[in-house]
Amino acid sequence: MENKIKQSGNRQNELVHILHEVQERFGYIPPERLAEIAKKLNISESEIYGVLTFYKAFSLEPGGEHTVTVCMGTACHVRGGQQITDEMERKLDIKVGQTSADGKFTLETVNCLGCCAIGPVVTVDGKYYSHATMKNIASILKEY
Amino acid sequence: MKITLDGKQIEVEEGQTVLDAARENDIYIPSLCDNPHLSPFSGCRLCLVEIKGQRGYAPSCSTIAREGMEVKSDSPKLRKIRIRILELILSEHPSACLICQEKENCDEYKSTIRKVGETTGCVLCPNNGRCDLQKVADALGVDSIRFPAIYRDIEVNKKDPFFDRNYNLCILCGRCVRVCHEIRGTSTITFVNRGSDAVIGTALDKTLQDAGCQFCGACVDVCPTGALTERSLKYEKIADETKETICPLCSMGCRLDVGKYEGRILSSQPSEDGKVNQGQACVKGRFLLKNTVYSGQRIKRPMIRRKKDLEPVSWDEALDFVAEKLKGFPGDKVGFIQSSQVSCEDMFVFEQFVRDVLKSDQIAAESENSVYGILKELADESGVILPMNHKIKEISQADTIFLSGADIVSSHPIVWLAVLKAVKTGAGLIIAAPFEFSLSRYATLDLRIKPGSEAMLLGYLAKQVLGREDLSEKETVKGLEDLKKSVEDLRIEDVLKLTGIPNEETLTHAEKLFRPDRSVVLLLGAGFAGKEKIKNTLAAGWNLARLTRGRLFLLGSGVNERGQFEIRKIYDKKIDLSEFIRKAAEGKIEALYMTGPITLAVKFDPAFLVVQDSYWSDMAKKAHAVFPASTFAEDECSFVNTEGRVQRSGSIIPHYEESKPDWWIISRLAQKMGARSFSFKKSSDIFNRIEKEIPAFTGITNVSFTKEEDLFIKEEQGDKIGFLPAVYDRTVSSGEKRYPFLLVQDGGYDSYRNLDLTKENKGFAKIRETGIILLNPEDAVVLELKNGESVKINSESGESHAVVKISEAVPAGIVKTHFLRRLSPDSIFVSMLAVLPVNIKRGE
Repeated sequence: MENKIKQSGNRQNELVHILHEVQERFGYIPPERLAEIAKKLNISESEIYGVLTFYKAFSLEPGGEHTVTVCMGTACHVRGGQQITDEMERKLDIKVGQTSADGKFTLETVNCLGCCAIGPVVTVDGKYYSHATMKNIASILKEY
Repeated sequence: MKITLDGKQIEVEEGQTVLDAARENDIYIPSLCDNPHLSPFSGCRLCLVEIKGQRGYAPSCSTIAREGMEVKSDSPKLRKIRIRILELILSEHPSACLICQEKENCDEYKSTIRKVGETTGCVLCPNNGRCDLQKVADALGVDSIRFPAIYRDIEVNKKDPFFDRNYNLCILCGRCVRVCHEIRGTSTITFVNRGSDAVIGTALDKTLQDAGCQFCGACVDVCPTGALTERSLKYEKIADETKETICPLCSMGCRLDVGKYEGRILSSQPSEDGKVNQGQACVKGRFLLKNTVYSGQRIKRPMIRRKKDLEPVSWDEALDFVAEKLKGFPGDKVGFIQSSQVSCEDMFVFEQFVRDVLKSDQIAAESENSVYGILKELADESGVILPMNHKIKEISQADTIFLSGADIVSSHPIVWLAVLKAVKTGAGLIIAAPFEFSLSRYATLDLRIKPGSEAMLLGYLAKQVLGREDLSEKETVKGLEDLKKSVEDLRIEDVLKLTGIPNEETLTHAEKLFRPDRSVVLLLGAGFAGKEKIKNTLAAGWNLARLTRGRLFLLGSGVNERGQFEIRKIYDKKIDLSEFIRKAAEGKIEALYMTGPITLAVKFDPAFLVVQDSYWSDMAKKAHAVFPASTFAEDECSFVNTEGRVQRSGSIIPHYEESKPDWWIISRLAQKMGARSFSFKKSSDIFNRIEKEIPAFTGITNVSFTKEEDLFIKEEQGDKIGFLPAVYDRTVSSGEKRYPFLLVQDGGYDSYRNLDLTKENKGFAKIRETGIILLNPEDAVVLELKNGESVKINSESGESHAVVKISEAVPAGIVKTHFLRRLSPDSIFVSMLAVLPVNIKRGE
């Protein structure tokens, strides 16, 4: 992480980039690292916290092994995206944004994946599943 | 430039916003997020206006006026929009207090709209009507809210001292976030989350203290609602009177508005038009002023010790007793200690009394050990005149600032604001200190130098400046040749080694900041070194300032330390502090009259001891006579701040119990001792005498109580501006075999006369971390100490206790703490905080 910060030249306007790097590297932003970033960029921890809680792309908690994303865009929504989300919540016994007890899945929603023709869409770790239904959810999850 | 506002032609300044222009012309545009001190935010959208030729509505707070602009601040359409916006804001803010049907009756029959203790009343808002939201609701005439009320159900945060944070009342105007970031530089709070989840908070929901808060109270002052409220005012009435005073709790002399109810002080807030503080204060002025006045330690009545115990007597009896006793001592056996936290008037009378009535010249003052005194001594020795008057504003206009000897964020917060202003406009800040300052992150160069190597660093920088060709014109200046010689052999390797600066590049960077095109300010305080070291640092600082045509701004400590220094200049015969102590130790001072704090190294029991103070102390408890002196709040006082600014504050409350002003007590005593000339009736009589007799005050006749004018001490004029002989000493302070650690103390300024403010207020003790020492992680490993463990600290002259806090803010070998009185007997006056070799061991 230190190298990443060095590469960005300790510039405060590089904060978002650094947070992206950290998020990618660890899968989340470890809270105990905030002080380190703050020190390197000469800003307060609160300033960083404000930025990272603003963007949905950053998380302060480690996610599950796999990230399940259900599309809630208009096209997917009218084809039953909400029911898919509800079913996912029931199956994994969590709410959107949470991670299952076994640490395997984190459930998220997204507002459009840009492939409305094949909706409702579910992705797992970036792999797309088209025409998701209440029935085939179980088989999707079983793959992991 | 002219614009048309509501059909009226008005004159506006270049760059002014439409909202500010409207305000200047008494046209009301509602707004909640705007504040004159802060950058425009356009968050609340209430200040929308119509501008001819522009589509939609523009927020007037961030719209810069243009020539010929035609603006409408009010129209049925605007009114409708504003009401709708306010309704949306109020849907998340408890609003019964704003639009209650009973409001009119309530306003009329109650002094506060909050009816505590009445079952039918509302107990919603802790802010007692000090509410901008209410003003806007009234102005817009909102009487119902069409949206469902949402209660955010956020737990009220009471974890920190001084104020509560109830974000259920927050309207997210962001004023607190901006003042904390823009003006104070602490950036403790921020907007957390987004959209409807947004709330003001700290990183990871830490306490304010852990997030770096200095508790200046600026956020509380700008909050337009009851979200941030001073805890001690929560169940108080609204002030029925406001008086202005000068804060006596550091050397800046900030102007404060003191709120009173039925004669009692409730609150203190920074005055908007205070020339020194400009609407800002610090934790002491904002939250502790009450503590100094109403402390339980106040001495209530005169007392004398005829036999075994101190007994209360009348003023007459007490004065007679002391007069009679003092007459029995010849002048050379009497000593007098003068506090630097009393008014100029008091100081003048002290001097007259000791010299004319006691016939003694053994009057010692705290200011002899002040930065002014030390520098003046050096200047006198070499026949140099140096200016000490500098306006704080000049700091904010500097290009380069060199700071050493005081962590100004806590010791001189108002100076810090000026430094921050400069830094935000591109100035380079060099901090040279043995440990990390609270806001070191703003420094261009944070040089963690070894204690005692300050002068060497300044000398090296002077050498580099001297090496430049552009200095030839200065050849004639007195002392230049000597200066050249004294810095000649400062080699870069030695400087790096002795200061501990990591590499040559850092030094080169520092040099660059002293290029001739930059205006330089050196800020030097008296901390983190002993007297000899400070002397060298100050001389070296002056020389560098002189070379770069910059300024040396001295960071004094007591509220009137500068005044004392100026008054005492006229007396030829002065006793040096160390001489005073030596005499005391040898028993040559038999009677001692004390008006200020003193910690003597030696056991000293004078045959007769008088203590004249506002607060009880160990010395007062063993005195033969105790005189209760009033505080700054109870009499007219003139103070000179570290800028050289003369300020006056009026009496804001009656004398506490039987206390009297210092000058009154001394005058009466003098009369009892047969001196008829001490017939002062009021403080202003004395000030007139000062104006006549003390050259530094010549012409300062019109110091008013309320309106601050730019009145400054008269300084010596002349062409004797030259360099000082400085010893660029090649040694650094360090531990030794028996006492391997260096203890640095950073908090000696937190007292008023004999009152230790950290003992007076638990919240203050908490934020000053009293009883805690900071220890480097490496040292902690060596000593096998963990966070929170108790340790014993030994020095050559005493023992004390503390709890360990492991921190990287201090380097290995150095421990830092708030002032530990018992450990510092060699610095008898608290303004002088030496570094002390100590030993640290686990133990209670």
